[in-house]
Amino acid sequence: MIQKSDDIIIKTLARILVPFIQIYALYVIMHGHYSPGGGFQGGVILAASLILLMITHGVKDTQKRISEKAVAIFSSSGVLIYAGIGVLCLVLFGNFLDYSTLAKILHVDPAHARSYGILGIEIGVGLAVMAVMFSVFFDISQGESSGEDKEN
Amino acid sequence: MEVTLLIEAMDTSFRLMEDARRQAVDLLNTAVKLTSETRTVEEKNIQAIFTGAQESKSGFQNLVVTFLMLFAFWVLLSGKYDLFHLALGVICSLLIAYLTHDLLFANVRVGDARVIAWRFFAYIPWLLYQIITANIYVASVVLGPKQRVKPQIIRFKTKLESDISWVTLANSITLTPGTITMDIRDGEFFVHALDKKVADDLNAGEMEDRIAHVYMEADHIYVQDALDVAPIFGELKKGL
Amino acid sequence: MNEFLFSIGIGLCILVFFVLYRVVYGPGVFNRIAALSAIGTKTLIILLIIGFLYNRVEMFIDISLVYALLNLIGTLAAAKYLEMEGVKQ
Repeated sequence: MIQKSDDIIIKTLARILVPFIQIYALYVIMHGHYSPGGGFQGGVILAASLILLMITHGVKDTQKRISEKAVAIFSSSGVLIYAGIGVLCLVLFGNFLDYSTLAKILHVDPAHARSYGILGIEIGVGLAVMAVMFSVFFDISQGESSGEDKEN
Repeated sequence: MEVTLLIEAMDTSFRLMEDARRQAVDLLNTAVKLTSETRTVEEKNIQAIFTGAQESKSGFQNLVVTFLMLFAFWVLLSGKYDLFHLALGVICSLLIAYLTHDLLFANVRVGDARVIAWRFFAYIPWLLYQIITANIYVASVVLGPKQRVKPQIIRFKTKLESDISWVTLANSITLTPGTITMDIRDGEFFVHALDKKVADDLNAGEMEDRIAHVYMEADHIYVQDALDVAPIFGELKKGL
Repeated sequence: MNEFLFSIGIGLCILVFFVLYRVVYGPGVFNRIAALSAIGTKTLIILLIIGFLYNRVEMFIDISLVYALLNLIGTLAAAKYLEMEGVKQ
């Protein structure tokens, strides 16, 4: 179990930095068309912010903020958004993930519909990546402490 | 100076009035047994007015200020100012401000925040000037003969009180070449310095004074204290 | 302007090689971690200089910010792991 660090400098710095890191991660997700980024990169940066919080403030305080149940819901809803948009295009008489058929719902021309479709998928991917990376880190840190307890 | 005296006078007068009120309430409580329940309920109301004025109900204001800062950061990062991207920015900033608004401003009272921000931006050019002069001195020491480098560790206690000012002082010491903050333990700073001149510059304490001025610990009034006290003046008069 | 930035980039690369000596030969793991963190700071500036040379600074600023963030979190995580190792022994 990762204990709470008793060093005041990194606790204060992590507390101040985490909102800015998260808004930077959302910027990277949303601007995937124009600059390097996209869904996977933004999800990794979001997970990095949560790992920073976990390293400095300990596992218990981070779990008060985002519980394991919320992480599981995030990962599932990320995949749901991805598959949901694909099936929506299928329902509207197109191929799977053929975003130009979304133009009927959104009332824009097919080029813009493709742009919005990809944006939606990137958001789903970002959520799923963040949830999975956070839970992997959490499980490894838990498993290590229980393993050493069994040794002792 | 006069304001300090005024605030101290107000403080003593509040204490006197509170003592008098407490004694009066005690007398009433012991004298009347039948209505004792309603008396303690009234005393709880007056107590709630005192404590309610002192905790700043700044949850909502924290949210708004965090939202504005995050949205300004978004606009700075993204070069596109059309409606779609700005709307996306508003939604994302709102979401993150709602999730993390108690992280950013945990200890600062809201009435002070504007003054502190302005003084902080005035402190940064002085820090840059110190970095440049210390840089030149450390370069001259390091490129010279080896005997000029005499590393030493200094311990000192500061007069600063809140954790943000400690962190600002530690970071400023580390940013200035020649000194590195190693640890802060029980309120004592452990600093590793390269040379005696750099250590003397640190012990003179000018950086501490400037940081105390930035975070309003050298002044004798706090803006938020005056704002807290003002509305309960009337209640005090009514409750006595 | 391009030549000036290019020469500064070459100078920073030479400085990185000096610090690389400490990464390879540093006795113990703490020297290596501190040297890696120092290399990270030089890498940021080299990335920005490359961005200027290719005339697409906006793209490389995003990359530099991400690398600065990962440098910080990597150093903190390594230090935390070594602290816990010491406690377990």
